[in-house]
Order: sequence, then structure tokens, then C-alpha cells
Amino acid sequence: MKAILFAVVALLAVCAPAFATQCHVNPVNIPKEWVTMHRSCRDSMRHQIQEEVAASLQYLAMGAHFSKDTVNRPGFAKLFFDAASEEREHAMKLIEYLLMRGELTSDVTSLITIRPPERNNWANGVEALEHAVKMESSVTKSIRAVISACESAKDFNDYHLVDYLAGEFLDEQYKGQRDLAGKASTLKKMLERHPALGEFIFDKKLLGIDV
Amino acid sequence: MKVIASVALCLLACVGALAADQCYQDVSLDCGQASNTLALPRCNAIYGEYGRHGNVAKELQAYANLHLERSYEYLLSAAYFNNYQMNRAGFSKLFKKLSDDAWEKTIDLIKHVTMRGDVMNFAQRSIQKPVEKKNYTVELHELESLAKALDTQKELAERAFYIHREATRNSEHLHDPEVAQYLEEEFVEDQGKRIRDLAGHTSDLKQFITNNGQDLSLALYLFDEYLQKVV
Ligand SMILES: [Fe+2]
Repeated sequence: MKAILFAVVALLAVCAPAFATQCHVNPVNIPKEWVTMHRSCRDSMRHQIQEEVAASLQYLAMGAHFSKDTVNRPGFAKLFFDAASEEREHAMKLIEYLLMRGELTSDVTSLITIRPPERNNWANGVEALEHAVKMESSVTKSIRAVISACESAKDFNDYHLVDYLAGEFLDEQYKGQRDLAGKASTLKKMLERHPALGEFIFDKKLLGIDV
Repeated sequence: MKVIASVALCLLACVGALAADQCYQDVSLDCGQASNTLALPRCNAIYGEYGRHGNVAKELQAYANLHLERSYEYLLSAAYFNNYQMNRAGFSKLFKKLSDDAWEKTIDLIKHVTMRGDVMNFAQRSIQKPVEKKNYTVELHELESLAKALDTQKELAERAFYIHREATRNSEHLHDPEVAQYLEEEFVEDQGKRIRDLAGHTSDLKQFITNNGQDLSLALYLFDEYLQKVV
């Protein structure tokens, strides 16, 4: 009985396309020799995209913190909201690169997972800037890990991706880290004698207002 | 003296009166004290019944989180349409635009939550039933993905209606025209237009397909070219 039922279902499945409305164009096959990225390299790129997204969410939380009425540091909030958008753009750039290399024809949905940011509170501006420096350092480290995965894949050094990551991403990382570290130093020096006023003035400076 | 003061304070707080000079009272009390910091607990941006009654405060946080999630989902759809097999630059552009808009609104909502003296909670979810996520996928063909976009945009729009209702008619203890006005100005109008556009796109595709599907492959190609120009 079960076998008959199965046969009927199978028959229906075979015949179905003949009278079902087709709403899409059938996929086609074209040569794939040009799709050359190696698996370990691809996986580490995918991981890096998630890292950038996580950084964007952490920066959103920093922006939210410094926007609070009781914290009231609009300059810091702007700095971190802008940083959040930049991290999102980094994720987009990496995605663009994968697409250019013939990737992301499948497993796209699992590329990004949204998790609430780990931290939501900072004692003051210096603490947040220092946190940002540490975060960027760890992003830099993980980009270096991608580079090393992509230049050492078995029999395949992915020169172009390695060059792209080193030239575009590492460049931006090092400059960004230097900028944050400079800001943290300046602020920390100001705080030594004038903790409250120092952060107030620095915040307005971030907004572009000269007090 | 201090005891009497704190009793008076508590009384005021317990009554929950919308007294306009609470911050001033904090200042008067604290400034005379022998201490080198001020507490001033009632000198904040909270007014009306925001966060004290009803669920508008929580729903506004949840609304930010919903925009955040949708923004990254739309981004993945944009990516999928841009792979070499799909190769639909117009559809990709449409989803990229949806993603950019949702991202912008996420930040705007977070700012608004803090503007009202509240704290943003990134884990906050709405009590409204979310659209089924179990079989969620961005790997959809053209018409399916438009359908999904239409549904999720309606969800965002209806959620705005819901929060608006909670901020105005629905709640006995909360009437918050500030939230209502914010939703009307920043969300409701654009959402109506976006939904209409997406519904229009699905109508066009539907017509291409009902003609026995004869024109489908060329129609999809042309429609994608069209989207590249109008999005
Ligand atoms: Fe980044």
C-alpha cells in the first residue's frame, strides 16, 4: 500500500512541472574554471564579514550609550554611529569582492547573524576609545589571519585577494587605529587635571564645535 | 532633617504627580548637602508617562532592532542578486536601497529612544508576533523575493501603526503625541509609498508570467534593466 502511495506521489512529482506555473527562469550552467577561490580562504572571508557586522553592532551600542541624557556626549555618539556605518560598509566591500570572484551563489543566508552587542556601558569617553582601539586591533589581527589563509591555501596563493586585503583593508585599519589611539591619548592628557571639563571640551571638538 | 526630606521626596515620587519642578527640588535639596557630588535623580529627559506606563518605550527599542535585522537581511538579498548566476543588478539595487534605508532608520530610532531619556536594549523584542523566521532564506528567485520584501515592509509599516496606537488611543495611562508625530513624520508616509512600489512591481511580474510564461525570460531581463534605472 505504502509503495503504491509512494509511486503515485513520485509520478505526480515528475508530472507536476508540466502543468505548474513557472515563475522563474531555469538556472543555466556556464564554465566554472574561473571560480578559483579556495575553501579555507573563502571560509575565512565569510568569517571576516561576520566580524565586521559584529563590530558595526558594538559601535551602535557605543553610539547609544553616549546618546543617553545622563551621559550627553553627542560628539562621541556621532563618532561611534559613523564608525558603525563604516563597519557595515566594510562588510559590504568584502561581500562585493566575493561576488566579483564568482562566490556567493549559495549559502548566502548563513553569512550574517545578528547578535546583540556584548557590551553596553562605558565609564567615560576614554574607556570607550580604549575599547575601540582594542576592538580594531582584534579586527586587524583577524584580517591578517584571512590573508594568511588565502596565501597559503594548498597550491594556490590568492595573490589578488591578498593584495586587496593588505592594500585596502590593512591600510584603513592601521590609519583608523592610529586615529583612535591619538584621540585616546589627547583626551587622557586633558583629563589629568580637568576630568569633567576635559571630556566636555573634547566631545564638542568631535562635533566640530570650538568651545 | 535629611529623613524628613527623603520622606517628602518619596511621597512626591509615590504620588507620581507630573510635577514640573522635580529637578529643581533635587537641586535645592542636594546643593545644600555636605557632599562633593550631586545625584539629581530627577534631572533627566523623561517626561509624560514614557517608559512608566504602557509598552511604547519597549516597542520603540524593539522597532530599532527589527530595522537592524531587516537591514542586514536585505543586504544579503542584494548580495544574492549580484552573484554571477543571478546577475540581476536592478533587483540587487532595489534590495540595497531597502537595506540602506532600514540601517538609517535603525540609528535614528536608537537616537530617538535616548532622546526620550531611555536606554537602548539591543535584545528587546516586540510583543507582536514576528513574521515566521524558521525557513528564512534570501536565496529566492525574482518574484519570490519581491513577495518577501512586500511582506516585510508591510510588517514594518503595521508595526508603526501598532506603536502609534499604543501611544495614543489604546493605552489608558499613556498619551504620547511626541512618539505619534515622530512615527508619522519619519515612517508612515515613506512606508506607504514603498509598499505601493513593491506591490506595483509584483503586479508587473505577475502579468509577464500569466501570459503562459512565454515572455518570462526576456521580461525578467527587461524588468531588471528597468529597476536599475528607477530605484
Ligand atoms: Fe572594519
